[in-house]
Amino acid sequence: MVDYDVVVVGSGFGGPVAARKCAEAGLDTLLLERSEVPGEKVVSGLVIPFYGFTFGPDFIREGNPPLERPICKVVNRFVRDGEIYATDATLRVPKPLALGYAAYCKPFCTWLADKAVEAGAELRTSTTAVEPILEKGAVRGVITDKGEEIRCQVLIDAGGTQNRLALQAGLRRKYLPESLELYMIWDFEMAKEDVDETFGLSMEFFHAFPEEGIGAPLGYGSTLYIFTYRESIHPGLGQFLVTRGEIPNAAKLLPRYFENFQEKVTRWKRDIAPKVRLRAVTWDVCPIYAGLIPETRNMPVFGDGILVIGDAAGFEASAFGDGVPSAWFSAELAAEVAVEAVRKGDSSRSALHQYERRVKEHPYITWIITDWRRWDLRKILVSRSEADLRRMIRDHWGIGAFRYRYSGRPLAKAVREALRRDPRAPLKWMEMFSRYYRNWEENRFDPLSESGRYTRPLAGKTHLQPDI
Amino acid sequence: MEIRTSDRFPGVEWVGDPGEFIRVDESKCDGCANCVRVCLAECFEIREKKARVRTLAECMECAACWYVCDKEAILFSWPPGGTGFRTNWG
Repeated sequence: MVDYDVVVVGSGFGGPVAARKCAEAGLDTLLLERSEVPGEKVVSGLVIPFYGFTFGPDFIREGNPPLERPICKVVNRFVRDGEIYATDATLRVPKPLALGYAAYCKPFCTWLADKAVEAGAELRTSTTAVEPILEKGAVRGVITDKGEEIRCQVLIDAGGTQNRLALQAGLRRKYLPESLELYMIWDFEMAKEDVDETFGLSMEFFHAFPEEGIGAPLGYGSTLYIFTYRESIHPGLGQFLVTRGEIPNAAKLLPRYFENFQEKVTRWKRDIAPKVRLRAVTWDVCPIYAGLIPETRNMPVFGDGILVIGDAAGFEASAFGDGVPSAWFSAELAAEVAVEAVRKGDSSRSALHQYERRVKEHPYITWIITDWRRWDLRKILVSRSEADLRRMIRDHWGIGAFRYRYSGRPLAKAVREALRRDPRAPLKWMEMFSRYYRNWEENRFDPLSESGRYTRPLAGKTHLQPDI
Repeated sequence: MEIRTSDRFPGVEWVGDPGEFIRVDESKCDGCANCVRVCLAECFEIREKKARVRTLAECMECAACWYVCDKEAILFSWPPGGTGFRTNWG
């Protein structure tokens, strides 16, 4: 006896995509979320790369999700003694194209959860999945914090970096601190005209050698960045939990880096500080190399009755911001396999094995879990060469990023595959870019449900704009 | 449910009673203070060469403490549904 065909644990970015796809296929699907409103525990400086939208779920591409700003340009600034000594803004596309879209997690995850509910999935918020139900090594459901046992044929673990359920099921081990970054984010209100004038449709990075004191040693954490939103900006930076073999005093260092940045860097003091007001300070841990380092890269992403997606599976939020796209890609693949398993009435390991094969064939997921060049910035720490630093940044965050041997490779492969499936795909992409741009200009997006406080499909009820 | 805020970390709310969702197993702790070093919310302190949870009042459930504990002395779980930290600006 099962209560649901599929239970998806976690309504962040991946979970609702998997739940929607299962529900669309007619499966009895439950989506569990521990927060009261989906996305309100998701912390991330978020610019979702364009390829998540072009190659990701149809309903996102064809829908009108709440986006904060199209990002058409990546501006790399190189800082010495508080001054910008060089700028590389070669990674740019003309509007209405975009390299990515800035978003706040709460409205975006609520929008995704709404879409799962519209397709017939049941969403249960304020419910923590405490542990999996295990029978002879097979996952048969979850036990909630209310002590309720929910049984299912397939459990999809979309529980994020800490991946509690996959750990308890004995499937995976916790990520190593060497592969994780602790990052801190400051959210500032800024008038839209000021963001438009100061940044336009661009985001900025501030690269510097460690003595500048505005970030972790090169390659050991996210360079200080400023993501730009509609009426706010979202600076953040990070540091690995193990940096050059030691556990850094991150609690002191992260706030100090940002204080130094605010005190020293003219771009901030002159152009930005007079126009902003601090609104929020948050942080989180995210996996940068969990899917890449040998100790954890080959951990299973499936087991008897369970499929693991997104950050929980090590398809990580890397330094390139692939977290959300890879959560979407893996969610769709997991849902496909879950649907096949439920239809056949076989959710054994051998039936779910398909999932691993499919994720490893995915052009972007393969790239995320195999591209060792991401370690390169650490070499610059040894070479100490400004020219090397600028060349490396240009190859990753400049025009070089489109070169074939860097991120051009998965892009080319993904485009080829998309064209094979649908020769008209580029027209759909152009339509999406144009519509997203228009939505942003007119500030019109799909209305959201009232705080996600529902348990049954909405079926055309009036939606309310949440208080965000 | 009770809602708490913090002056240090604006834009974040802590809801209800999350309980002791992070604990230290004193028999395993060797007092290395890794947890103290990575916790932005100052949840931990060292007393008599052992880490202990001082407060979880400003915890954002990142689990950094759990990851850096070589001795597996930190016990980490999620707070009960609907409790703990939340933000509109993540």
